[in-house]
Amino acid sequence: MTEAVLTTPAQTSVPAGLPPRRRSEPRRAWWKTALVTVIAILINLPMLNAIYTSFRPDGDISRAPLSLHLHLTLGHYRNLFNGGSGYDFSRYFLNSVLISLGAVVLVLVLTIPAGYAIVRLGFGGRYLLRGVTALRLVPAIFFAIPFFLLYNSLGLYDTVPSLILANTFLNLPLGLLVLAGALRDLPVEIEEAAIMDGCGVYRTLRSVVLPLLAPALVAVAVLVFLFSWSDYLFAVILSSSNATPVTVGAANFVTSTGIRWGDISAATVLSVLPPLCFAVFAQRALVSGLSAGAVKG
Amino acid sequence: MPRNHTRGARWILSAPLLVFVAVAVIYPIVYGVRTALQNRTLLDPDASWAGAANFLTTVKDSGFWHAVWFTILFTAIVTCVELVLGFCLALLVDKYFPGKKPLLSALILPIMIAPALMGVMFRLLLNENIGAVPALLHDAGIHITLFSNGAVVPLLIVLDIVQWTPFTFLLFYAGLQALPRDTYEAAAVDGAGFARTVRSVVLPMMAPVVFITGFLRAIDAFRTFDVIYVLTGGGPGDQTTTMSIYIYKLFATGNFGTASAAAVLAALIVLPLVPVVTRRAVGGTTAEAAR
Repeated sequence: MTEAVLTTPAQTSVPAGLPPRRRSEPRRAWWKTALVTVIAILINLPMLNAIYTSFRPDGDISRAPLSLHLHLTLGHYRNLFNGGSGYDFSRYFLNSVLISLGAVVLVLVLTIPAGYAIVRLGFGGRYLLRGVTALRLVPAIFFAIPFFLLYNSLGLYDTVPSLILANTFLNLPLGLLVLAGALRDLPVEIEEAAIMDGCGVYRTLRSVVLPLLAPALVAVAVLVFLFSWSDYLFAVILSSSNATPVTVGAANFVTSTGIRWGDISAATVLSVLPPLCFAVFAQRALVSGLSAGAVKG
Repeated sequence: MPRNHTRGARWILSAPLLVFVAVAVIYPIVYGVRTALQNRTLLDPDASWAGAANFLTTVKDSGFWHAVWFTILFTAIVTCVELVLGFCLALLVDKYFPGKKPLLSALILPIMIAPALMGVMFRLLLNENIGAVPALLHDAGIHITLFSNGAVVPLLIVLDIVQWTPFTFLLFYAGLQALPRDTYEAAAVDGAGFARTVRSVVLPMMAPVVFITGFLRAIDAFRTFDVIYVLTGGGPGDQTTTMSIYIYKLFATGNFGTASAAAVLAALIVLPLVPVVTRRAVGGTTAEAAR
């Protein structure tokens, strides 16, 4: 998965921002509620199972996979933080946070001015955007090997900044495309008025365009965070221990110590949470942002 | 906007991106192709030129062609199934029903989960000793080893469908919500039943969305690595080795030259698709599809 999901938060929020369409429908379709609930549970079974396992004592986990004994414990979560699991959860987690936030900042810094130059100032014609779009077709592993060799010779291997750079690279096309799309949708008249009033290009970009672009910036930030957090291929190639993020950490944990299922579950559940929270929290910001943009008259 | 006024500005504004692209995109491409032409291994970092030897080694390796074939087959099957299931689900959820909003969020949850972590969760769920699924199957009298030769490929296909049908569903749902309602109603007034309306009215209008969704799903399925690698490591044997896993294994064993050559070949396979994606996708990709 990469920029495939690129507009998902935006899209989910559109219907959420509108009044429910068919409230007046005479028959309330409860059968749909039942059916969709079953489907939702099935789809989320891996997650639900991991949450349940993370609260069960080791003995119960190995003895009876199916029992619904409610002997719950917080021991696995405690193990993660006091070193009892032999798994350096805090460090991996911190690495993931730093890598993802770093990539978000860097992608925005690179794509906001360049996106403006491409869409509004006609920079690079259509070729630059097309070239960047074509990049997503190339399998990521094609780039991972040169990155590894370069980082190795520069002494950057297994460092957090090197993974920030790699994830920035991975998410650049996505950021540029979403911002370019949003910029095209902005009415150019506002910028023209600003120029008339004596604003230079930079002033117009900073004081007029950026505030109008806020919803798109949030969308890009959320998506880049999500994809950087999810990255596994680059992380497994470009890190060995110091810069390891949660994805690689959890996968290694499960392969090397395949019996500490409770601890593994707890680590996985905590590792999945930040992007989930981020996406849910930002969905609201997107709703207000998009509906504000919708009344642009 | 007056051109003379902005000529300097557009270069200045684009400079950071251009520098980054030069350093992080163009240089690695050149470097990757160069490595493919060298005898470069972990033990022998002082590379000598190999000419086309690495490419010949790759092309002659039956494992490479197996990986190519498996990747294409996997991509084709999961993309088709996910398009159909996602569309059905979107039709089901399209209109109002009680509890729709929270259920919608639950349906798209798997998209937000890192595939590698999803792989770890699948391992928990499917583990022979502690997994709920094998236990259920056992109780139902079905004796099957999920990761055995015969079962592993269908299993991976099912798992991909579980994680990525929410993605196709989401794009289709957004597309359906954006369709003009009058068209449905006109069809209903004219006496068309549900199936007829879907076939003759909804599907034609959704065609661009279906195309882009299928395309996005296919390019992602084509480079699948995380879930399969975490679950099977490409095995048993090389049965579930995708192209990405094949290249990664070469890389991990220190054969940088051959790995790069295989990566160049993998990139060449998708090259014919470049005009399709640039023509279709410039200007908002799915944002446009969902409009």
